[in-house]
Amino acid sequence: MNVSVGDVVLPGDSCQEIATIGEKSKVILGPGLRKEVNGIFITKAGTLRKRAPNTFWVDNYQKRYIPSRGENVIGIVTQKAGDIFRVDVGGSCSASLSYLSFEGATKKNRPKVVIGDVVYAKMLVASKDMEPEIVCVDSHGKKGRLGVLEDGFVFKCSLNLIRKILNPECPLLNSLKNEWPFELAAGMNGRIWIKANTMRETIALGNAILASEYHSNDEIKSMCSNIASILAGHIS
Amino acid sequence: MAGKTKKIELPKSVLEMKFMKKTRERIEKELQNTQDHGRLYSDIITNEMRSASGNFISESSFIFCETMLDGRLSFKGMNPEIERLMEMEKAEAEKPSGEMVKDVSDDILAKKMAKLNKMKRPSASPVVSELSKIKRKK
Repeated sequence: MNVSVGDVVLPGDSCQEIATIGEKSKVILGPGLRKEVNGIFITKAGTLRKRAPNTFWVDNYQKRYIPSRGENVIGIVTQKAGDIFRVDVGGSCSASLSYLSFEGATKKNRPKVVIGDVVYAKMLVASKDMEPEIVCVDSHGKKGRLGVLEDGFVFKCSLNLIRKILNPECPLLNSLKNEWPFELAAGMNGRIWIKANTMRETIALGNAILASEYHSNDEIKSMCSNIASILAGHIS
Repeated sequence: MAGKTKKIELPKSVLEMKFMKKTRERIEKELQNTQDHGRLYSDIITNEMRSASGNFISESSFIFCETMLDGRLSFKGMNPEIERLMEMEKAEAEKPSGEMVKDVSDDILAKKMAKLNKMKRPSASPVVSELSKIKRKK
């Protein structure tokens, strides 16, 4: 069936609209779209979306993480094998993380990473046939926002929720950021790490994030003010 | 280290000498190795380009499709290091890009320049006419 932008699409549907645009100008095909000889086909069930000028993708509900290059993920160190760490990122196989890909790490000065640590890392290599490789430094050798996440609490959610809360238009973080101090790391692999000063605050934050998945923007705002007033009421 | 050894290259005439056979073989081997490495990495780099055809660029990640914040955030002084990075990023985003900050706007400058040109031309033409007058007198 031929579909257009904004439609609910199913695998196997084709999109004539994208094909005609592609004849004249460059088109970026995001996840869920595939170029075949005789047109553009959908490979995921979801909503077909477009961003100007010519970026198309399928917004779908998904919990399985498929590693792809450049994404920031949260992983758990599961094994130390010689000079690399095996890190579970939720993909089909574990990722490898070299001990040299930390800020200031040398052969003599090894980073202090132990089994069970939670790391926030960037996907460096993610191909179909090889295990992914992650790093905790940027191209300048600086750690930036990456590295080992100390303390805090990790929970899993759908990949959509990560994209929803990180969208600049989502009111969740904007309404919570002035309420109490907290820290958050959201991995594109459907894991969120949160840290706050007290257990109550941590639980409140985690619940707020999980609850916002099926709420509209207005509902999220009122929920956040609710949570904040409950927390403030109990503390004072 | 490999870069250092590469820079120092023995002249061909020396390498062709009998006693330099082992060195010559080693250098050839090194050269081959580096070429192989280049091919290996070019494979990784052009992977995405290879899957694309014509005007279509395939991208397997949402981060290039949707606008998204960086996933590591801190609020109200929980992690000063992260908050400093966030502030720096915010300042960079708010900075006017490309356009210079101007004291005089383009319109005013255009008017002033037009006036200046007008003033210059009349003054320039009398000189020419006077010169021609002098020439005629002569």
